[in-house]
Amino acid sequence: MSQTDNDQDDLMRLLVAVSREDRDSFQQLYHMVSARMFGLCLKLAGQRDLAEDALQEAFIQIWHRAREYHTDRGMPLGWMMSIARYRTLDMMRARKIRRNDGEEQLEYVEDGREGPLDESLRSAGEAQLSGCLNELNDAQRDSILLSYYKGLTHDELAHVLNTPLGTVKSWVRRGLMVLKRCLEQ
Amino acid sequence: MKKTPERIEKLAAEYVLGSLQGLARKRFERWMMESAAVRQEVWFWEQKLGPLSDEVAEVNPPSSVWNSIERRLWQQERHTGKAQSRANQRWFWPGWSIIATAAALVMAVLLVQPSSEAPQMQLSGAIVQAGIGDPLWLVSETGRNNLLKLRSVAANAAEADKDYELWIVPEDGQPLSLGVIAVGGVHQVTLTDTARQALSQSRTLAISLEPLGGSPTGAPTGPILHVAQLYEI
Repeated sequence: MSQTDNDQDDLMRLLVAVSREDRDSFQQLYHMVSARMFGLCLKLAGQRDLAEDALQEAFIQIWHRAREYHTDRGMPLGWMMSIARYRTLDMMRARKIRRNDGEEQLEYVEDGREGPLDESLRSAGEAQLSGCLNELNDAQRDSILLSYYKGLTHDELAHVLNTPLGTVKSWVRRGLMVLKRCLEQ
Repeated sequence: MKKTPERIEKLAAEYVLGSLQGLARKRFERWMMESAAVRQEVWFWEQKLGPLSDEVAEVNPPSSVWNSIERRLWQQERHTGKAQSRANQRWFWPGWSIIATAAALVMAVLLVQPSSEAPQMQLSGAIVQAGIGDPLWLVSETGRNNLLKLRSVAANAAEADKDYELWIVPEDGQPLSLGVIAVGGVHQVTLTDTARQALSQSRTLAISLEPLGGSPTGAPTGPILHVAQLYEI
């Protein structure tokens, strides 16, 4: 599912209006994108109250920083989704959220079969990244996707994958570099 | 740590992914403020990894979220009913000739990791100018001793016989001078409790061009060159 060009044009128009502190446009913008942003916050945080706070912070930031948006930062929706993601990660770290609820499931990741990543997300991720995830080995791919979708830190990855920290770090780092070479082609 | 292309590449990817944390994340955020090349690399990853978010299901947030946003952004105005208190007009007090605000915009990269040593919120931001890749000054508040630090990065010296003067722009009333600031190095100001209070409410700083030694009147007399909004970290 991707936004149509029309949607992106609408978002751009609204964002420009928001940069001039147009409140009606800000509210329209909220109604257009808040459900997508909230879905992402919720997926990452796994907690409604934290996701709600993160969404709130994200929109406060969008209000104050709309004038800083420019197309080098990607499409308007992508820019806003990034803000939502960063604010959620901040809050998770700040509150030292331990994702104990997911750990039992996470232990299966090592097998590369069942895991905290829905299979649908894993395959969708592959499609979205132009097949580049296929260039990675399973450990690299799952480490990266777990960080992206679940906000797991290196320490948490090492814990749930029952793998030394150094190994996990190298999976993530090497995986990202392989991904980059592929995405740049 | 030097900003080598290899380090930038590696750290930017981890920053966007979220696995870069703690002090390393803070340090990298400072790199982002300082270098356009670092920001470009971050934007690359934001755009490349962004599509992964497309697959996450939409969820409607409760209406309380929007209510909270409205309350936080515009509560004061609702109370006073004054259009003048709008954030963007805060610094348009009479008598100021504002010549360069359009060019001055605030990058204000959020330093997001709360300090473990100082539970109190701290303010941070950057004073930037359109068309210049690096920020002119980086601003940060330290948790202890009410200290505000201004580090000059790409600021040029004021013209001959002039000085830059730093001001807190309060929600209401006259700006408070924080003195003349030099270009180069780090400028530190100890805020009085009153100044700290005003800054924590308005979170707005301004820089004006003044005669050598600063404004003779205690209020800004020259053009306002920059207005910067700070953010909590």
